[in-house]
Amino acid sequence: MGQYRQPIISTCHFVSYQVEILDWKTKKQLCFLDKVEPNATIREIRLMFHKLYPRWYPARQSIKLDPKGKSLRDEEILQHLPVGTTATLYFKDLGPQIGWTTVFLIEYTGPLFIYFLFYFRMPFVYGLDERFTSSPHPVVNLACICHSFHYIKRLIETVFVHRFSHGTMPLRNIVKNCLYYWGFAAWLAYYINHPLYTPPSYGKKQINSAVIMFLLCEAGNFSIHVALSDLRRNGSKIRKIPYPTKNPFTWLFFFVSCPNYTYEVGTWISFTIMTQCVPVGLFTLLCFIQMTIWAKDKHCTYLREFKDYPSLRMPIIPFLL
Amino acid sequence: MAASGSGGSRADNGYGSQQPRRRKGPGALATAYLVIYNVVMTAGWLVIAVGLVRAYLAKGSYHSLYYSIEKPLKFFQTGALLEILHCAFGIVPSSVVLTAFQVMSRVFLTWAVTHSVKEVQTEDSVLLFVVAWTITEIIRYSFYTFSLLNHLPYLIKWARYTLFIVLYPMGVSGELLTIYAALPFVRQSGLYSISLPNKYNFSFDYYTFLILVMISYIPIFPQLYFHMLHQRRKVLSHTEEHKKSE
Ligand SMILES: NC(=O)c1ccc[n+]([C@@H]2O[C@H](COP(=O)([O-])OP(=O)(O)OC[C@H]3O[C@@H](n4cnc5c(N)ncnc54)[C@H](OP(=O)(O)O)[C@@H]3O)[C@@H](O)[C@H]2O)c1
Repeated sequence: MGQYRQPIISTCHFVSYQVEILDWKTKKQLCFLDKVEPNATIREIRLMFHKLYPRWYPARQSIKLDPKGKSLRDEEILQHLPVGTTATLYFKDLGPQIGWTTVFLIEYTGPLFIYFLFYFRMPFVYGLDERFTSSPHPVVNLACICHSFHYIKRLIETVFVHRFSHGTMPLRNIVKNCLYYWGFAAWLAYYINHPLYTPPSYGKKQINSAVIMFLLCEAGNFSIHVALSDLRRNGSKIRKIPYPTKNPFTWLFFFVSCPNYTYEVGTWISFTIMTQCVPVGLFTLLCFIQMTIWAKDKHCTYLREFKDYPSLRMPIIPFLL
Repeated sequence: MAASGSGGSRADNGYGSQQPRRRKGPGALATAYLVIYNVVMTAGWLVIAVGLVRAYLAKGSYHSLYYSIEKPLKFFQTGALLEILHCAFGIVPSSVVLTAFQVMSRVFLTWAVTHSVKEVQTEDSVLLFVVAWTITEIIRYSFYTFSLLNHLPYLIKWARYTLFIVLYPMGVSGELLTIYAALPFVRQSGLYSISLPNKYNFSFDYYTFLILVMISYIPIFPQLYFHMLHQRRKVLSHTEEHKKSE
């Protein structure tokens, strides 16, 4: 129809594109955009779609070429996609979104405060009679400091260090994550701060070595996060190959793809040794399993994306896993 | 943790359900093994069924029939643990997690409740779930056997997808009543409970755990039941159409 008319804004001589957006499931046409600039980005298409459907703001939209394929990135340009001058795109609603930073802040503040409820032995936690019968063992104070330190460090990193590539995540994930983090924090704190807590079998020796290992792992984890953040100093959002830097803690990059996870597991192992508490050990195990899955995923992505990826690296444990 | 596959709730894991197999089926050796396994299990549950009937006829009463079939029940119910391995090794194309959950919940009831709390063994509720399990399992294992041999009689298929309507609620009621009956004895004896202080800084209250298990039936039971009904509609109506078109 419009193709005989002179393109209005087009500075070059290309024909404009037509874009139809279908629902990914029902294949019903949701909108038809006539005359779209060939060099329009997906971001712009999202905005046009948003104008027609105010409730689906851009972050909620997943726009795909194939109903079952991967979502298109914001920066992708219409004319570089494998489509004719009439492009068919598929839309999927991702559900309400929430900012990544907000998510982490909520996830990590919970454990911090929940732990205190138990540390200060709120009367409703252990009952009144036991509350006055024993004063906490020094390791209980130490554990509280370490636990708080761990989560405060994560909060600070979330705000000042990490440069996330995703703006948002689906709202329903946060419920799941919070249940996980908060629930476990309560469970661990209950045992560590219990009036009937039994201190570690090997006393000071055990506690001190655990604290040293804990601090080293925290330092390592922090160094890796800084190194990852430095990869994006120019404001890009792509993933690059991270390499060891001058900081010796980052030398773990010689051997694994996700040293931050390795260090994170290390901190939890130290915390288990420090408190000699079975629930902490179980939580450590779960974290390890979870992070191993993620690390393997990320490792595979690195291998796929970079032909020259260092072959010595393993996902999470040097030479092993 | 709880809702066991009483009514044959494993509808979706059938090797040889009517849908065409997406992946290639198990190899010849695996098929032979699975046939043997399923034949043995069918026979095992038949032994239990016969044991129940004989004990009933001998005694003239249905109380305390548990003792007459205790050994084979434990043996064959525990043998179901192999099903988890079958899924894990991929010779049976169903979810390891789901199968593990269902088998474990029954093994749990067999060992951690009925075997461990002697006082409940005389309860009639035990018989309730034992009967439900026995009928379900005879049908289920023969269903698998015949499917593997590619000669599935319609009657068995129909029974597998129909009897659960009664057997599943029956089994679940038996299980719940048995756990409920065990509660006071567990509390009294402190069975399987660990209390503070101990050097592992861990405690476990089996009594509370059992209550949580009972509560977990509330969300799980309706879900599995409706899933089975849905499955029934899909599988049985599918065959009827099939028959007509032939
Ligand atoms: N206890 C637990 O169970 C648990 C579980 C998970 C995490 N954590 C803790 O939380 C921390 C962060 O977790 P995470 O899963 O987000 O870690 P991550 O995937 O390693 O990411 C850390 C940060 O670095 C960025 N990044 C990662 N790889 C990059 C690359 N190749 N190039 C440029 N930037 C890159 C990430 O951005 P994008 O990913 O946004 O691209 C993100 O901002 C972990 O290191 C750990 O300390 C703990």
